[in-house]
Amino acid sequence: MSDEKQENSSILTWLTVIAFLLAMVAIFVYVPTEQTEGAVQRIMYFHIPAAWLAFFAFFVVFLCSILFLWKKEREWDIYALASAEIGVIFCSLVLITGPIWARPIWGAWWVWDARLTSTLILWLIYVSYLMLRYQTDMGSMRARFAAVLGIVGFLDIPFIHFSVLWWRTFHPPPKMISSEGLGAGMDPSMVSTLLLSLGAFTLLYFVLMGQRIKVEMMRDEVERLKKDHLYSN
Amino acid sequence: MDNLEYLFAANIFVWGGIFYYLFRIKRYQQSLQNDLDLIKEAVKKGSQDE
Repeated sequence: MSDEKQENSSILTWLTVIAFLLAMVAIFVYVPTEQTEGAVQRIMYFHIPAAWLAFFAFFVVFLCSILFLWKKEREWDIYALASAEIGVIFCSLVLITGPIWARPIWGAWWVWDARLTSTLILWLIYVSYLMLRYQTDMGSMRARFAAVLGIVGFLDIPFIHFSVLWWRTFHPPPKMISSEGLGAGMDPSMVSTLLLSLGAFTLLYFVLMGQRIKVEMMRDEVERLKKDHLYSN
Repeated sequence: MDNLEYLFAANIFVWGGIFYYLFRIKRYQQSLQNDLDLIKEAVKKGSQDE
């Protein structure tokens, strides 16, 4: 990695650390405790940003998969794979923090309503995507099959978003983005804390992407060197 | 109605998940760097022998 890239990566990492420290102060000190749910409602400041990050990561998979199928360049495949892995990690965190929040509020860990079920389906689609990537050999049709799955999987996201509006669900409708305006009906301190947390998670996405792409490029380099120098003798 | 144990559990999972993933990436990077160094050394030795 060049010095300039290394420096940019270091600046981004420090910005992320600072953003998370500010977000933690806002979540645990600044923002008031919600009156009906109590302190457990603070899970929202992790749950919503994790969901945003997962959806954003899968959107990147969708875009990079289209670009890979169109241009046939390995770098788009690398970006899609890196983003899918990050998306699965954060979608898993959504599926873990959601039930932890639901248990004291709804009295149940899980209900099979449209929002929860469609989110679980999204997670299963991208876990399948990763299994396809890890379980099949290099040089096969793997990248193309995965790209198609990456594109099809993304179609579940609009369904997840609108599920709470189309059906009567346990899961509440979106509070941050609603027809009444951004953050309407929420205390301004809650809106600013949520935005801060969303910003910190978004920065984290770019830090993780940088590291994951570096790993994949190193793997390609190892494979290329092995093929050119070790296996050819 | 605070249910602090649930808030604590959610935090453990979120931070545990993020740090575990970062740790796994760093470990994999280290192992690939070792492989790269070994291969480069083997290539260098091979070209010197010729």
